[in-house]
Amino acid sequence: MDFELDGEQQAILDSVDVLLSLRAGPERAIALAAKGELDHDLARALREAGFLSLATEVGPLEAALLVERAARAAAVLDVGARALVAPALLREVPDVPVALVHADGRGPVRHAAFAGVLLVADGAVARLVRVEPGSLAPVRSGYGDPLGFVPEALRRSGEALGAGSGERLLRWWRLALALELSGASTAALATTVAYLKQRRQFGRAIGSFQAVQHRLARCAIRTEASRWLALEAAHHGAPGERVAVAAAHAADTAAQVFRETHQLSGAIGFTREHDLHVFSMRLQSLRLELGGSTAHARAITAERWAEGAP
Amino acid sequence: MEFDWSPQDEAHREELRRFLDETLPEDWETISRDGPGSDAQAGFSREFCARMAERGWLTQHWPAAYGGSDAPPWRHAIVGEELWAIGEPRGPQYMNVNWIGPAIMEFGTEEQKAQHLPRISRGEVIWCQGFSEPEAGSDLVALRTRARREGDAYVVDGSKIWTSYAQHADFCILLVRTDPEAGRHKGISVLLVPMRTEGITVREIPSVVGERYFHEVFFDAVRVPVSCRLGPENEGWNVVTHALQYERVGAARYARAALTLDRLAERARERGWLEDPHVAERLGHARTLVEAARVLTYRVIDQRAHGKPPSTDTQLARVAGTDADLAVGELALELFGQEGLAYGSFADANFRLAMTAGVAVGATEVQLNLIAARHLELPRE
Repeated sequence: MDFELDGEQQAILDSVDVLLSLRAGPERAIALAAKGELDHDLARALREAGFLSLATEVGPLEAALLVERAARAAAVLDVGARALVAPALLREVPDVPVALVHADGRGPVRHAAFAGVLLVADGAVARLVRVEPGSLAPVRSGYGDPLGFVPEALRRSGEALGAGSGERLLRWWRLALALELSGASTAALATTVAYLKQRRQFGRAIGSFQAVQHRLARCAIRTEASRWLALEAAHHGAPGERVAVAAAHAADTAAQVFRETHQLSGAIGFTREHDLHVFSMRLQSLRLELGGSTAHARAITAERWAEGAP
Repeated sequence: MEFDWSPQDEAHREELRRFLDETLPEDWETISRDGPGSDAQAGFSREFCARMAERGWLTQHWPAAYGGSDAPPWRHAIVGEELWAIGEPRGPQYMNVNWIGPAIMEFGTEEQKAQHLPRISRGEVIWCQGFSEPEAGSDLVALRTRARREGDAYVVDGSKIWTSYAQHADFCILLVRTDPEAGRHKGISVLLVPMRTEGITVREIPSVVGERYFHEVFFDAVRVPVSCRLGPENEGWNVVTHALQYERVGAARYARAALTLDRLAERARERGWLEDPHVAERLGHARTLVEAARVLTYRVIDQRAHGKPPSTDTQLARVAGTDADLAVGELALELFGQEGLAYGSFADANFRLAMTAGVAVGATEVQLNLIAARHLELPRE
């Protein structure tokens, strides 16, 4: 048991942070959002540095650390799907964007408009669907990631990835979600805390009011716990109960962080000239994925307490 | 970074569980129903702690020089988890081994160490902590109990309140004001007071929580030898904050909440309630709070294992533990409905134990103040 990074992990994260500080960040996310684009340059840079293959070459925990950091840095990229989920299902990590799809999901899908590979969760099996990148219709949306529409015929097609693959896809997808939620919640909170230290009303910093401080402190407790729960689950290879706990906790945290950061930031928080929306709007999208907090919570109970649970 | 238990730690947990199976009496659930301060549990703790001590487990995290075996913090955390979860058979003595003993090691004289440490590590002594006063609760530093120097003794006058375990205690670790003129944090000293000293009276305050939960302790011209002072005169605040920093997470509340939640879910399954998606969601959400508290507590233990100074992660863990405890207690009441109102029923017993969580050992609001100031570095003004 050791919560500190070891030498190799520290070295990886140092390089990841340098790369992200140069090539990601809220400003870039805002520019990409205006064009409805995915960050292809960032994807290339991460791939060339070897970070997209961390899961197979080092381990899932190291890939998880990358996913969480990328979300904190407002990366507009399928980094969770490509660096963490795909390696758990495919022998070779695709060189094209990966979108995660639920066979019964009718809503738009993150990154689908740019995807070259769809991983479809369809009951007991996962299926691999190859598509021409750019062939799926983009869906206009203000929730952080570019979305695309996946027609039902496509959601029902593709090559089955074998026994147990459906369940495996859901587990690693839940984990990636938990990490992205955690990273984005942490960044949204940090953005708001920084703002409230500066912003003065009634002759004092807003962040000095106890009524405000306690709400921020509660958010901090939740974001810290979300991160550790997700990293623990990654280390253990994404077991069903742990990923459901991490995802449910992170989704509930996201709802709370969204509410509190926007309320406490006032009107500036709703503008595109302030960074908060880059993280907070994405939180709403992420917290709904895979049925959201209620579905994750039911999965916990099924995994832990149902008749014949492991 | 890695999150596996070492094989030695896992083996220790298994061994401990076997020991508990063999050692706890059949009516343990009845004994533990009213909490660590009850007559039954405090009495049983003397027997139980002696057996823990025989195996060298009671104070294994202490240095070998003081009768421990330098066990790593993780090992002691396992003991805390396993024992607190089942209702704390160490009774009040968990405080002794967690922080009163270590405080004596850090600040005590050789004589004090020789007097107290062996008895604590043999599991034969019960302590209470004389901290809160009628006018000094969350604002502990406002304490007024006075100790005047008279020759080689202090004469103590005043009163303490909410004192758990006072009726069973052999000793009290007592906070007194030795210099009323000094600033709020100065002029406080710590005394190690035998409870059977003339002038000490204990009154139980009846409560809705359980038997022997709260007491008032009155000090009427109580003479305490100067040799009983722990640490330098007027610097008691440092002694207490230092001693308590690590141990504020002390009781493994999340472990208790986790076991209670498992038992609640088991009963819910037997009654077919798990089929109700709303019940399944409630149980799942409660589990997230328990797990959050566990992982945040582990973070604190990890810092200790690395020899790092205490940080505000302690406060994060404290509040998360409180939230988990309260959520599970409330959920038990809600799922059982009016059935849970009967005294001693599963829901009642657990709810009563959970309900003090946000107040005991320092109110949640104080923890949130500390997180805001030190973790988020928000301005004070």
